[in-house]
Amino acid sequence: MDFYLGLAQVIGIHSLLGLSAWCVLHTGQVSLAQGGFFAIGAYLAGMLTSMFQWPLGYALATGAVSACAVAIAIGFPALRIKGLMLVVATTAFAEIIRLFFFNFKWRVAGPEGLVGPDGSLGFGGIRYFPANGWSSFELNALIWSLVAMVMVLLAWLDRSRVGTMWRAIGEDELAAQCAGINLTAAKVSAFGIGGAIAGLAGGIFAHYATHIEHGNFGILLATFAIAYPILGGLASLWGTIIAVIFVQGFLLEGLRFLGEWRSLLFGVLIIVVMIIRPSGLLKASLGMRGRLNKAAREPEYRRDQAKSGTTDEVHHA
Amino acid sequence: MSIAAKRALFAIAFVASLGVSNSTHAQEKTVKIYGFGAKSGVVGIFGQQSEAAMQAAAAIINKSGGVTLGDGSKARLVIDYLDDRCTAEEGINALRRIASQNDAFVAIGPTCSNVAEPVFGILQKKTGDASDSGIQFPLYTDVAAKGGLASISQWAFRNVPSEANMYKAIFEWIKATKPELKTFWGGVEKDFAHSNATFGVIKAQAGSNGLQVLGQSEWLLNDTNFSTQVREMRRANADVVAISAHPFTTCGVLKEMARQNVRPKLLVGLTSSSSMETLQGCAAQAEGLIIPTSFAPVTDQAKQAAVAVQAINPKYNMDLHNAAAFENVFTLKELIEKNKIMARPDSIQADRVKMRDALAAMKETQGLLGKVGRTDDREAIKPYLFVQAKSGNWVVAHTPKQ
Amino acid sequence: MDLLDLIDLIQALTDGVLFGTTYALIGIGFTLIFGVMHKINLSYAAASIGAAYLSLVLVNLVPAPIVYLGAALAGGVLGWLIYLICFRFIPLENPLATLMSTVGMLLAIEELISHLTLGMPQNYPALFANSNLEFGSFFLRGDLLFIFFLGCAAMFALTMLLKRTKLGLATRAVAQQATAAQLCGMSVSATNGATFVIAGLLGGIAGSMAGAAIGVLSPLMAMPLTVKGLVVTVIGGLGSIPGAIIAGLMVGGAENLFQFLRGVSERDIYVMLLLFVFLTLKPGGLFAAPGGRD
Repeated sequence: MDFYLGLAQVIGIHSLLGLSAWCVLHTGQVSLAQGGFFAIGAYLAGMLTSMFQWPLGYALATGAVSACAVAIAIGFPALRIKGLMLVVATTAFAEIIRLFFFNFKWRVAGPEGLVGPDGSLGFGGIRYFPANGWSSFELNALIWSLVAMVMVLLAWLDRSRVGTMWRAIGEDELAAQCAGINLTAAKVSAFGIGGAIAGLAGGIFAHYATHIEHGNFGILLATFAIAYPILGGLASLWGTIIAVIFVQGFLLEGLRFLGEWRSLLFGVLIIVVMIIRPSGLLKASLGMRGRLNKAAREPEYRRDQAKSGTTDEVHHA
Repeated sequence: MSIAAKRALFAIAFVASLGVSNSTHAQEKTVKIYGFGAKSGVVGIFGQQSEAAMQAAAAIINKSGGVTLGDGSKARLVIDYLDDRCTAEEGINALRRIASQNDAFVAIGPTCSNVAEPVFGILQKKTGDASDSGIQFPLYTDVAAKGGLASISQWAFRNVPSEANMYKAIFEWIKATKPELKTFWGGVEKDFAHSNATFGVIKAQAGSNGLQVLGQSEWLLNDTNFSTQVREMRRANADVVAISAHPFTTCGVLKEMARQNVRPKLLVGLTSSSSMETLQGCAAQAEGLIIPTSFAPVTDQAKQAAVAVQAINPKYNMDLHNAAAFENVFTLKELIEKNKIMARPDSIQADRVKMRDALAAMKETQGLLGKVGRTDDREAIKPYLFVQAKSGNWVVAHTPKQ
Repeated sequence: MDLLDLIDLIQALTDGVLFGTTYALIGIGFTLIFGVMHKINLSYAAASIGAAYLSLVLVNLVPAPIVYLGAALAGGVLGWLIYLICFRFIPLENPLATLMSTVGMLLAIEELISHLTLGMPQNYPALFANSNLEFGSFFLRGDLLFIFFLGCAAMFALTMLLKRTKLGLATRAVAQQATAAQLCGMSVSATNGATFVIAGLLGGIAGSMAGAAIGVLSPLMAMPLTVKGLVVTVIGGLGSIPGAIIAGLMVGGAENLFQFLRGVSERDIYVMLLLFVFLTLKPGGLFAAPGGRD
């Protein structure tokens, strides 16, 4: 039972990460920087609870807010670049963050010796949860209530004008600008909100793992972050959650019985899913949420192809 | 297939896969020792060889009758090894999965130091602390060697060599046998926990044994270009060069040194690099590299153990890492028998506590090279010797007094 | 800074620029595929390393130059396979889907290599490994010079292919306007497939050259080559081959220079900052492709 609770915790943390990427992807920006915001939230929240004995809530909130601030700072220069260049720029940014923490050393005296980030040796001793007697069940309750909160927030945003703006920009920037939508506000707000969610996820991760180091926050994590919304389908929030369950629950834990072949199958199955369902596992949204997301349509990136008019042919490579 | 049908099929497959466990429903009694470590990915060889060593040990034990449980019955020893892919999250998941099995009371692992630190961190820190909700499960590590990790939790025990002792010994030996060597230059792989931490030890021991530390070159785990670092090395022209890195970058640096004609009088390497990997990549350039290690097939038991591992699968060898796994299985067998572990689902919680207390009470264990001492902070004092790369093989250079 | 430091600086720069040829080749591969299909193939560097691994079967049978040729051919085959698996069957309207499928391919290739070689580094033959041109304390590495000239030859061959052959014409046409090219009777899917094969040939050469320069092959090489390749592509300008060449050499040199000046822990920070400088000052890259697409 404890194992399933533990797995649920991992799924919850990754769901937050996926939702943060969903935010940014919704406006048509492919950002590999979510891993960087995750790292900021992780280190900051970890430092506040283990070095300065802050209560968890304040530490997580500070982590999220700081990540949001950095994300907004990144969002402005990111306005000038699109597409592949944005992918590379955000990758570069996430790498800079990781390398910063690779070099970052700040240790203070704790009850049992020095505690704090020690550069390339990592940052251990973030034992807030076990030391304060949190049970797996309580931890799950915390994580999933945060996930629910974020999903409600995003669903509400999606229904409101903000969501319409985001979707409009995601579908066609030029048309959206012509319709009077403030590109800057929309893109930067998406970046900022996505950054805050990622920072929150990072803070929880640091406390879940009790030890973090620069290697946890590499390009692979950022790739997972955007993989979840893409695999799940951008049309609905639930798609991201389903994708996280698929990757973490099925591909990584469920396929353990395959032994060595599990890792090989991981990449192969991702390819298979993308070929079978290119728009994501969930094309339309589930049940009730469907009404909330009614206005959401799959973004169609028909940039160069002239609209084919009456026939609905799909172009293959 | 309709979307609903597809979804249903997927859901069934998913739930079924989560429920598939690895337990065997054999008729005879079995007792399980779990293991976990990196079985896939770049460092997958560590976990694979650990598993092979554990299975070799189990095969020997089962051949001579199996393990005697607390009620006097004999049980067959079964090894169940999980892959954690050298990532913290999967290591934690693997431990949680093991801890939730009702036939698990001890596990050997992990192999990566960057997994060991978080995994030890989620264990209960002090036994008997009711306010600590950490996992209460004893771990007996075979490979993860970064210094001082077992002190993180009283449920964590390790059977890894003490690099502080080994490098102290090797530099003392160098001082004694080669007093003409005066200067030292270090090379370190900065972004891997083990090599980085050990380098501190190497540098300190070199300095306190009379060598003048001229400086160090640094590189990263997946660097592809070492010309700048080797040039610094060349400029310094030190007598002794120590390389604290894993086989890929060790070979890259050694080849670059050959290219730039850097020939120090003595080359010292990292314990983990005293394996076949280094010789596979750069046997010619590694000629003369001396490494302190806690395993070499020099005693009868060691030779037999090496043969036993090859019998499991000819592509696996025995080296210092999985030798510890091999030793651990035998140690655990003794502890199971001495402490009358029942290994029944209803006794499993008590078994875990018994096992932990037994591991804590151990004063020494039997290793393949001799007796292994235990320290107060749950680490091992392993016998060691120095091996040297000669013509594509590791040969014993010196067996120091311990 | 005394004379020896100055010589070391120039040496670091030179070695870096020469090694940068591999980055340039990978950058060309990325930019070629992007220019023609407007899609990123994130598995490109991994496939290049994979091609070098495949050429290992020839190592003790034939001399080194044939091994490199083998790597190039293996790269071409792999390129075509990647096109077939990751791109052919995914509709063009889902660029994110192809992004993900190439990520899946990258993970699969890395894992396959680790699986088959047990993760152990494999010795790779180098030409002119021990011959250096020495000028006092400064020397030009023979093998890096060979890599440089081989890279230049490959780039020259590519330019000739693009400018003088029908295939090159088709590639350029599809890159400019795919629908119009179709109207002229060119098969877009065949051209795309051919582009992947050409990029794969280049990638195979790049992978084998990287292996030769280091002396060993390891699956660890795939990620950094991917990242540096992408950085080179963006600095050079998406879709511009001369841009990728110059950017590749520049990144190679800058990387070594930063490492010499600031050490390895901060080196990559400065390389990324260099990228940001370019993105701020010249967002289109060194040579923005005509039509200024993203």
